[in-house]
Amino acid sequence: MRRYLRLHRIFVVQYLKRLMEYKVDFLLGAFGLLISQAIQILFLGVIFSQIPDLQGWTFEEIMFIFGFSLIPKSIDHLLFDNLWMVGYRIVRKGEFDKYLTRPINSLFHVLVENFCVDAFGEMLTCVLLLGYAIPRLNLPFYWYTIPALIVVVIFATMIYTSLKIMTAAISFWTKASGHIIHMLYMTNDFSKYPVTIYNKAVQTVITYVIPFAFTAYFPASWFLTGKDPLFCIGGTVIAGTVLMAIALFVWNRGVNAYESAGS
Amino acid sequence: MSRMKHFLRTYKPFTRAGVQEMIAYRANFICFFIGEIMSAFIMYFVWKAVFLSSDSESFMGFTMEDMVVYLFIAFLTDYLTYSDGAFAVGEEIIDGSIAMRMIRPCSFEMCFLFQELGNRLISFAMIFVPLVGGVEIYRYAVTGAIRLDPLCFVLYLISTVIAYMISFYFNVCYGFMAFFFKNLWGTTLLKETVVSFLSGGAIPLAFLPSGLAFVLDILPFASLRYTPIMLYMGMYSPAQIAWHLALQLFWLLVMIGVSKLIWRSAVKHLSVQGG
Repeated sequence: MRRYLRLHRIFVVQYLKRLMEYKVDFLLGAFGLLISQAIQILFLGVIFSQIPDLQGWTFEEIMFIFGFSLIPKSIDHLLFDNLWMVGYRIVRKGEFDKYLTRPINSLFHVLVENFCVDAFGEMLTCVLLLGYAIPRLNLPFYWYTIPALIVVVIFATMIYTSLKIMTAAISFWTKASGHIIHMLYMTNDFSKYPVTIYNKAVQTVITYVIPFAFTAYFPASWFLTGKDPLFCIGGTVIAGTVLMAIALFVWNRGVNAYESAGS
Repeated sequence: MSRMKHFLRTYKPFTRAGVQEMIAYRANFICFFIGEIMSAFIMYFVWKAVFLSSDSESFMGFTMEDMVVYLFIAFLTDYLTYSDGAFAVGEEIIDGSIAMRMIRPCSFEMCFLFQELGNRLISFAMIFVPLVGGVEIYRYAVTGAIRLDPLCFVLYLISTVIAYMISFYFNVCYGFMAFFFKNLWGTTLLKETVVSFLSGGAIPLAFLPSGLAFVLDILPFASLRYTPIMLYMGMYSPAQIAWHLALQLFWLLVMIGVSKLIWRSAVKHLSVQGG
């Protein structure tokens, strides 16, 4: 474990050195994400200029859920973005050989190799949104609010990462799966709004099948109201754990099925 | 006439290659399409909640029916006018393979254009009928009448073709600039978000403050998406139709001109080492 932590630091430092070469590009990437979030908030602003609340949710509450959804999303984006490359390129081009020849776990190596600083754009939006919403909301505060937040963020991030691991691992059989990662990943946008606005079918899917609702709406609603802690917080923990177990299983099977690119 | 024939014979193979490429990767295309259309459905639910929470039938002049048409036709138009064929220009300049294009007896942008037309043809075949059909069935179910006006439909098609051409030349210009940047993902995200917003992809321009909406309506971005959608929805008077189509043609000519200028100066400064 110690060794892995040390290796992680070395990888990040390596990445930051590469990054300093392309400062402008980094700023553009982060700025792009910031703008794309800002436009969605502008859209919500236009809506709320005409209606007092959205099916019982106030503007501040919607901002809180929206901002909350960006916490696990941006952490996963920052740390584990390299999985996209597995789906798009690494397996298809046979570059995965490299990871198999190293004396560390292949999944660990893939995860820590890249450090996607574009995610700072999302993090900044997240801080701005929560900074706007929290003082305007009368949130219940208990001694266990902060520990609960930490637990939720860890497991919600695991939901993101394990869904990406699973879909990236499909490429071990099909050579490329970037489009499948994309398809599943895009479902996360449903979690930005209260699930009560969707119909039953969509609610069921994003709660029990692709449980992105546990990355934002359910935990956020607990922080907002203090109701249903068992389902809102417990659900996130269970969803994160189960998905990660499945993801590791699929990944390990996939690595065994990997047959390089030949040549 | 024979020149036209020669022209078509030269570029037909590019279109065929584009079609074949698209067919080979159709599974990828469909997965991407499903991923992207989810955002339109999210917006549908958001708007449904908005109309449920609001006392009036219309939101800033749009009914729920209008909003559904707007969302899905905006999505369709975005797909049909999407262009990244010329994106490779930047990469080819860096690695020098652009030299191969320059010695070929055909124009570089026409090669890209015809190849991409093949691509668009297949995506048109795959998504046009389901989307327009879905929108019209929805309208029929809600209002009990067939709402699609054939004239609006034809105007939409004409306007979308012009919009695609503007998008193509706009992206040729972008392709030249992109080679200064390494983080293409970030730069492209930035460009697409800004263009999407300015062209009414996120919010109908009519919802913005009137001064801003007026300026955006004249800028080339509205020609990319907003104008075709408004034509489909029959929102314009005959005078407005003529004005907006003329504006589209004007911006198309400007984009062609700018891309030619950039190409000329790029060729002058191009130096390809070795080979």
